[in-house]
Amino acid sequence: MTAKALSGFAALILGVALLAAAPFAVNDYYLGLGVDLASYTVLATAWALFSGPTRYISLATAAFFGIGAYAMATLWDKLPEPAVVALAALLGVGVALIVGLSTLRLRGVYFVIFTFGLAELIHQLVSWHETNFTHTVGRYIYLDISSSQIYWQLLGLAVLVFSVGWLIGRSRLGLALRVIGDDEVVARHVAINTTTAKLVLFAVSAGFISATGAVMAPRWTYIDPNIAFNPLVSFQVVIMALLGGAGRLHGPILGVVPLVLVSEVLSAHFPQSFLIILGIVFLVIVYFLPDGVAGLIERWRAGTRRSERSRAVNVPFAGGALLELHNVRKAFGGLVAVDDVSLAIAAGEILGLIGPNGSGKTTALNLISGVLRSDGGEIRFKGRSIGALPSHEIARLGIARTFQLVRVLGSMSCLDNVVAGLAFRADPLWGEAARERAVALLDRVGLAPRTNVPAGQLTYIDQKRLELARALALEPELLLLDEWLAGLNPRELGVGIDLVQSLRKDGLTIVLVEHVMDAIRSLCDRCVVMNAGRKIADGPPATVLTDDAVITAYLGAAAHA
Amino acid sequence: MVAFDIVLSGVILGGTYALIALGLTLQYGVARIMNLAYGELLIAAAFGAYWLFVAKAVSPLTGLIVVIPVAFALNWLIYRFLLTPLVRRAKSRDALEADSILATFGMLFIVQGGLLVAFGGQYYSDRFLQSAVIILGDTVEANKLVTAAFAIVASLGLYLALTHTRAGTAIRAVAVAPGSARLVGIDVERLSAFAFALGGALSAAGGVLVSMSLLFSATSGVLFTMKALIIAIMGGAGNLLGSLVAGLILGIAEIAVARLIDPGLTIAINFVLFLAVLLIRPAGLFGRAAA
Repeated sequence: MTAKALSGFAALILGVALLAAAPFAVNDYYLGLGVDLASYTVLATAWALFSGPTRYISLATAAFFGIGAYAMATLWDKLPEPAVVALAALLGVGVALIVGLSTLRLRGVYFVIFTFGLAELIHQLVSWHETNFTHTVGRYIYLDISSSQIYWQLLGLAVLVFSVGWLIGRSRLGLALRVIGDDEVVARHVAINTTTAKLVLFAVSAGFISATGAVMAPRWTYIDPNIAFNPLVSFQVVIMALLGGAGRLHGPILGVVPLVLVSEVLSAHFPQSFLIILGIVFLVIVYFLPDGVAGLIERWRAGTRRSERSRAVNVPFAGGALLELHNVRKAFGGLVAVDDVSLAIAAGEILGLIGPNGSGKTTALNLISGVLRSDGGEIRFKGRSIGALPSHEIARLGIARTFQLVRVLGSMSCLDNVVAGLAFRADPLWGEAARERAVALLDRVGLAPRTNVPAGQLTYIDQKRLELARALALEPELLLLDEWLAGLNPRELGVGIDLVQSLRKDGLTIVLVEHVMDAIRSLCDRCVVMNAGRKIADGPPATVLTDDAVITAYLGAAAHA
Repeated sequence: MVAFDIVLSGVILGGTYALIALGLTLQYGVARIMNLAYGELLIAAAFGAYWLFVAKAVSPLTGLIVVIPVAFALNWLIYRFLLTPLVRRAKSRDALEADSILATFGMLFIVQGGLLVAFGGQYYSDRFLQSAVIILGDTVEANKLVTAAFAIVASLGLYLALTHTRAGTAIRAVAVAPGSARLVGIDVERLSAFAFALGGALSAAGGVLVSMSLLFSATSGVLFTMKALIIAIMGGAGNLLGSLVAGLILGIAEIAVARLIDPGLTIAINFVLFLAVLLIRPAGLFGRAAA
């Protein structure tokens, strides 16, 4: 640990100690304010743990908070208080796991509505249960606990949530979530198990929220479902986290402090217009502060660091037949995109997959890389059937790809884009080793000077290079290049062809979907031609390109006649 | 008899739901705005009709003539000045969705706060046309019948207009492929604003109907947004016929649960249905699966 990091750490401990001592120095009013600040800090930070990097806007905060509060309301006289808090956290984690398992594949508005619905559903079920079985509207909590104790517990939770967030941010899980937030398809193709990553974070976040609900419950003394499952809590947490900046661990607290103070003043002086002002704050954030306060601060202090290190790369060589397709078929409704296609690719070979537009080339790649599942036939990689595997497992087995329409993770640096490829493969690299390797790979594709530039700012050719570096990071045995050379000018094309050539020298097997005939002639050992979903020719480029059926497919029967 | 009663009441309730969901379908499917303030604007219209009825003695049905054009204009202005900047800055459909969710959240609070200041938190209803009508031995309040009839006629009229007119075809083209619609000479921005405003006008009509037949308060908007969203998604986002059918299904399901099990569980059945549809057919009852 450097001296600077050490002093920062000491300052943090001092800060927490000062906050912990606060109840001795202030009166009850300010202590109450401190409890609000601490509870919203835990809630907003826990919310952002999951929603910040993945960009899934969750409105389930009220659901998990209410679960915690109700756990306290039913168990306070049966178990010691800390045990109930721990139990509430476990309950939240359990519910999040069950719910998440079935619903985390929902995206965008579906997820928003679902999480909101979840809170309402649990709210309704609890009310229904209480009126029908316990015949009460609400419950009383006569727990002997002071405001100071509640404050200290919340402070403890806050320290815990920050520590967990800090550890996650430095782990491969944190990177996985950022990749998911940027592009979920890419995430799967760098071998990230997206479901597990999302599920873990959703559950951790829910656990903290439920624990907060349990700690806060005794403050009300009387609790009913409308208080415990108040949807306003969900909304306020979203606003606070977004105002502060949900993408950074310290972001939410920058939103919590001003908003809790403003709400306090507003509800004391203008209780009527509280909601209106809340709404206006919301609009201001959306229109003027899309990255929150934390983003604003970072833009002020923006600076880039460069790194010049590089190292030679060697990609492993594999012997024997590598990939086989047997009678593979894929239909979209009535359109048969891939019709009974069989082909084999030997290790070390460069195979050109060519054919007119709409002939099924990209669909074939999508079937191999697991984006789509075939309707029939079999796909074998190194003798193993991979047709039923999800993308991330196929990637882990050693098949990497680029996309016809480039998919880089625009908001992450070039370095992080490549690290994403290194961190989730079968033999993962992390930390300094991953950094070194990523720099070497960037150097290899000619991007060394752009290491710390956000990928979204690259030119088209550089984005293609970056995508290739990310694919190579997986140390694949088979590389699928989907029109990787398309749209390049003649000089860039030369560079591109040389690069692919050098990959072959390293022993990589490559499938090249391409329209650029020069590239096909100079690179491919063999070409497979597709037309209307069928394989119509298979052989060396020179033979195939003069084949009658191929010329007819490209130019039409009349032109050939 | 119970079955007939449930279906009749269910269709009456579901008709209003369908109308409300159609407006949201237009806004989401065509203008690509996920409008979470939708129910708030609906409740604002309900209060508008209530005020006209109580203070000016204008019947809610006449009130529609005032409320609908006002709502159309207001929604057009919202789209033009508050949402167009978001549409222009959005890099992808996902980004626009996230931004519009957040922006309309803000509007939700502003409208709801305004209504709370003006009307307070208590429940209202017009008590208009409450005389009983007997259908096949079943008693129904006249206002509910009028509501259902209006909702069903308006929904079908809209459906026919969209499927059989030139403007309707253009709107459907924008819903399917905004990028390509531009290529055949459709002014996507103008049409999106029109669709958003039309959706808002439908929700206002729904609001007036709600004021006639149901209890409402300044804070019940969220409930209507939820129902409209659930129906729109159940029917398949952007699918008009799907919304109609899903609205009727939801109405019948709610009444059935209230009569047969427990009135306290009507909202629960909303979410159970919604979840079931999302998990079994994520693209909605009539939606096509994404490629």
